[in-house]
Amino acid sequence: MSDARVIETHQLTKRFGQFAAVEALDLNVRAQQITGFLGRNGAGKSTTIKMLLGMTHPTSGTGTLLGRSIDDAKENREARRDIAYVGEDKQLYAYFTVEELIRFTRSFYADWRPEVAKRLLADYELPPKRKVRALSKGMRTKLALLLALSRKPELLILDEPSEGLDPVAIEELLQRLVGAASEGTTIFFSSHQIAEVERIADRVCILDHGTLVEDFSLDELRKDYRRVTLGFATNAPADEFRMPGIRRVRRADRQLSVLVRGNADAVAAQGRSMNAVSVDVVPISLREVFLESVRSESDLHP
Amino acid sequence: MMLWYKAWRESRVRFLVSAVALAIVCAGFVFFHRDVSGGISDEPLSYPMYIWRITYQGYLRELFMILAILLGLGGLARERDRRTAGFTLALPVSRWRLLATRTMVGFGQVVLLATIPAIVLPLLSPLIGQAYPSSQAWAFAILWATVGSLIFAMSLLASVLFAGEFTAPVAAILGLTAYSFLADVRPLERYLTDIHDVMSGFDMPYFEERTGVLTGPLPWATVFTLFFAAAALIVIGAWITNRQDF
Repeated sequence: MSDARVIETHQLTKRFGQFAAVEALDLNVRAQQITGFLGRNGAGKSTTIKMLLGMTHPTSGTGTLLGRSIDDAKENREARRDIAYVGEDKQLYAYFTVEELIRFTRSFYADWRPEVAKRLLADYELPPKRKVRALSKGMRTKLALLLALSRKPELLILDEPSEGLDPVAIEELLQRLVGAASEGTTIFFSSHQIAEVERIADRVCILDHGTLVEDFSLDELRKDYRRVTLGFATNAPADEFRMPGIRRVRRADRQLSVLVRGNADAVAAQGRSMNAVSVDVVPISLREVFLESVRSESDLHP
Repeated sequence: MMLWYKAWRESRVRFLVSAVALAIVCAGFVFFHRDVSGGISDEPLSYPMYIWRITYQGYLRELFMILAILLGLGGLARERDRRTAGFTLALPVSRWRLLATRTMVGFGQVVLLATIPAIVLPLLSPLIGQAYPSSQAWAFAILWATVGSLIFAMSLLASVLFAGEFTAPVAAILGLTAYSFLADVRPLERYLTDIHDVMSGFDMPYFEERTGVLTGPLPWATVFTLFFAAAALIVIGAWITNRQDF
């Protein structure tokens, strides 16, 4: 795997009036990896992707896509030659038939693979002569994926790619994404389906309120992330629990739950020194890290 | 090449319906000459005068202007409304090229619409024992194509600014109405060309009101000025499009 970056942003910000959709985002996506982009609805994932592709202009900050500036129209256009994109809407030109849209799309890209397009058309059971407006939501999603996966781009950007697909189609999609990555394509995809991300991603970026709150590889998750649960005989101490590596502390009556990265033993030792009667250190799943990262106190205690 | 095809597919229904509507109305005015002629004038009209009153000065002109507005609608703002803008903007194509393609297809369609009376009127008139000179019809076609291009550009600019299905045409019609009103206001009339009169020739030095016939040379300075104004509106539209967020 290469350590080169295909996406880099520095302090990238997008404001709509007073509302900051993306705030000072420093994002790095490594080449030839699958990077999952997680966040709640409205976290700023789609706005970030739109800024990367030149659809939305950043309010401030900079970024590069395949080494080319995202806010320079000409450079961004050059970068888009090597990028396949599936947007969150999956809406396509309703007046085209399936085969017309395929012909339209392939005319823009030198990396189009007709044999792959033909195979996907058959696999997805898309009727070539049918108008796009007559396709179901799931079929439209499949067509959007066909248009992206029939190419061999350097970078594949997918915004909620499995939305509208049935479980079988999702499984096939995940396998195709892994296959594309093994051929050298970098994949950057946003999703609400944490299980999907956990299955195929090498790396995960979590966005919350427009800010990057976590960026780690799944190897790092397995190796470094732990939940340390401290039980106390009386109410848990109210003092701030400040130590290197602590990501989040939750207090509930006689218990402290600490999400920690890379310093679990020291946190456990600190718990014992605070007279904790029980200390549990357990591995943590991506789902738990995600929920801990994006949940506010009001979500936990409505 | 496929961008041209896309622009054509987006507008072809509007264009074909417009072309058929114009042709039918032209044919109707020819074939119902006697009935319609009595309805628009108490005095007998010469055939060229009748054609001028009913088409170049009358209903057909207003219909053509509305159709030019319809052809100008669409574009990226409309695509944003239909949620296809993301797909279009992810293509390795500049926004300028997208707009330029749509503009060229639209201009072409407006010019073709302007030629429909020039084809239909001289062609069908002999069938009712009348004659309408092709030279007259084609001269009017040039004037219509000129003004039609300007109206198309106004409509295109409105559709850059407003995404709504009805907002853009209403804005274009209001803009056109406001321009026509201002062009009739006495202190401004010397600076603003009345585009209705350019199309019909009414009150213009190149037109003879007594016979309803274009006489002098066409107003090429006005033609080029209006084309330049249309191009300027397109450039403004492109400038705004480049700065929009989708």
